[in-house]
Amino acid sequence: MTAENHTAPLLEVSELSLVYRGASRSLPIVRNVNFSLDHGEVLGIIGESGAGKSSIGNAVIGLLAPGIAQTAGTIRLEGTALEAVDGEARRALRGRAIASIFQDPSSSLDPLMTVGAQLDETIAALSPELSRSDVRARAIQLLERVGIPDAPRRHHSYPHQLSGGQRQRIVIAMALAGAPSLIVADEPTSALDATVQKQILHVLKGLVQDHGLSILLITHDMGVIAEIADRVVVMKDGAVIEQGATAALLQAPQDPYTQRLLAAVPKLRSVHPDPASPGVGAREPILVVENLSKSFGGRSILDLFGAGKPHFALRDIGFRVPRAGVLGIVGESGSGKSTIGRILAGLESAEADRIELDGQRCDISHRNRAGSLLGRVQMIFQDPSSALNPRLTVAQALTECARATAPAGEDTSQAAVRARVIETIERLGLQTLHLDRFPHQLSGGQKQRVCIARALLARPKIVIADEPTSALDVSVQAEILALLKETVAENRLSMIFISHDLAVVQDICDDVCVMRNGRIEDYGSSDFIFGQSENPYTRHLIDARPKILAA
Amino acid sequence: MEIINTMTRAPRRFLPVLTLPNAILALFVMAALAAPLLAPQNPYDLLQILGWEASSPPGTMSGNGYRYWLGTDGLGRDIASCILFGLRISLLVSVISAAVAAALGLTLGVAAAYFGGWVDAVIMRVVDLQLSLPTMLVALIAIVTLGPGVDRIILALIIVQWATYARVVRSVALSEAGKPYIDAVRTMPLSRGRIILRHLLPNSIAPAITLLPIEIGHAVALEATLSFLGLGVPMDQPSLGSTVANGFQYLLTGQYWISLFPGIALFTLIAAINFSGEDIRRLWDPRSRSL
Repeated sequence: MTAENHTAPLLEVSELSLVYRGASRSLPIVRNVNFSLDHGEVLGIIGESGAGKSSIGNAVIGLLAPGIAQTAGTIRLEGTALEAVDGEARRALRGRAIASIFQDPSSSLDPLMTVGAQLDETIAALSPELSRSDVRARAIQLLERVGIPDAPRRHHSYPHQLSGGQRQRIVIAMALAGAPSLIVADEPTSALDATVQKQILHVLKGLVQDHGLSILLITHDMGVIAEIADRVVVMKDGAVIEQGATAALLQAPQDPYTQRLLAAVPKLRSVHPDPASPGVGAREPILVVENLSKSFGGRSILDLFGAGKPHFALRDIGFRVPRAGVLGIVGESGSGKSTIGRILAGLESAEADRIELDGQRCDISHRNRAGSLLGRVQMIFQDPSSALNPRLTVAQALTECARATAPAGEDTSQAAVRARVIETIERLGLQTLHLDRFPHQLSGGQKQRVCIARALLARPKIVIADEPTSALDVSVQAEILALLKETVAENRLSMIFISHDLAVVQDICDDVCVMRNGRIEDYGSSDFIFGQSENPYTRHLIDARPKILAA
Repeated sequence: MEIINTMTRAPRRFLPVLTLPNAILALFVMAALAAPLLAPQNPYDLLQILGWEASSPPGTMSGNGYRYWLGTDGLGRDIASCILFGLRISLLVSVISAAVAAALGLTLGVAAAYFGGWVDAVIMRVVDLQLSLPTMLVALIAIVTLGPGVDRIILALIIVQWATYARVVRSVALSEAGKPYIDAVRTMPLSRGRIILRHLLPNSIAPAITLLPIEIGHAVALEATLSFLGLGVPMDQPSLGSTVANGFQYLLTGQYWISLFPGIALFTLIAAINFSGEDIRRLWDPRSRSL
């Protein structure tokens, strides 16, 4: 290595342009991007979907998707232009000099191999000279380095036996196997719960501080950037909008796009509780739920012998949804919050002492039974792409819903239904021209608007929104949230809002239920939960949120 | 700067309608439809057959004033005419049986996936049983018990084929049924039939569409095999398979043309059907239509 190489930054990307070559036209993905990354530094690339941030990461690793080509610019690693390196040498760089971590740890691990075997395989491939016992010793050392407790035992575990956070730690350990100087981390924490996300970011931070690693962190989440990035590159439509030191950029964003992006991030308000504010149950409830429980299993013949104990997914859940109000249900994944939504929408059966909707008792012990909640409760789902039938146009989907749920005696002629559909979608910010589109021809935000329109057209007593914004980009999230808030107020709708994001819940909900392991951990008015609650779990959730700024 | 990435390969975006397999297939279908007009001889009509011209080699002039371009078989039937009329029978039998088997398998597969429980268990155990019996054996038993005839062959082929569709479609329907859009329609007061037919079935049909041409090709081959064994369509209605079988005994005496030309036609037909299958699947998918 020459002295000149030491002065060069670890990674230098200059005038990088990537183009997607289709059969009929070429589409620029990334245009003239410049940035550099020094030893021991974390550089964050932030942008919304389609901004080209992942393609940059792939270009640095050397794994561009088929159809995408680098048409201009250079990527230099310690002064060496990567384009000049041939395929074989490039492959040798991967894992040794540059390693990568992907978003979903469950799909980047082989489910049929123990994590130890996968780690051993990686180490053996990168250093063939090591003996088997040395490989194993190194694997266990790596597992300990990423904070896996009881590493020798975990070495024999299969991926499904580990939690999401542990799986991501394993992926990080594999990335560290070749002692790389640069790790490209593409959305490393997006599939994880907030508390786990915090731990993983802590591990990554530790690697940078203790071992002088550099990380190219690609994310859509301002919180993640604020937590660990030293410098940020903001991207939009394939071009760099703004870059600079994280603290400075977050404090005083120059570009209007960055400002909008920052403003769109939901933030927790500090609450000054008003002792005069009404408590839970002060308002007339539209839905009363008492002692709702749901168990899986426990219906086999083994019960007779006292074997198979039923496993409770929900236990003794009770709450009230205020009329024309919003009840928020928060919790981490696996807490049972979505199951409540599915039961109330009539998609699953459960046992309860009392379910009363609008003064009427409801039977939820069987699906599709008369007197169930079916049709009177509508859902808005997390991922609008899979919540719409891909073979129906917007008009077909909405017309079907309007027809099916029309009360007896209403005019269901073609023209009347179409008029209602058009009126509804226009109120939700869509236009008539969207009616003839298929779902894949709409953007994520537009698809979610169609889903909201579908829920509204059914004229439900209650709308259940299950993480309605978490599959969307930050700026679209803000739009959809504002729209939901407005719709609820305008139509005097009652809503159950299920989310893992406390700030969003605080923004939109009157009452809040905190769930943990199938039970209600904390329940109260929004101001109470966020301002006064002394429940340790609630405090823990609030503290786990990445702090963007103490603004 | 030159293009660096060597892995670059733009995905195909256009829908190829005029490819060689499609053209060949279209030709076969048209030839089968127009057989009575195209064929110089009607091989079903004994009056048109000159017994003394049996086993003429290709290119011989006929006493009826036309040329036997592909020769004649042991009874004096023109091979070219036999191929044209045989195509009709082969295509008729295979298309009808594959279509009915697909419809049956689709319905049962989707129903098994949607209802689950005992419905699923019963349907899928029958499928397992059906698939564990050798295809040929099932067809043979069906023919032996039902008796010969074109309609019986079709029935036998349906019995043999439906289970494959049911199994393939069920696995896709199972994953589709778990998607939120099915949940969304289930929260509306819609009938189960409507949810299955309008929402679940069209989204689960792709593998059946891919399977259809393969199974049509399979049906052509199976019908040919049955005919070859003498259990297929009656001798007076020559299919491609029975024509090949006719020539089998003459192969040893050097009269290759009786088996060879129908054999080539059979092979080309099955190959063309299989190659066209992928295009048909892509046409079905709205996502590939609008790119």
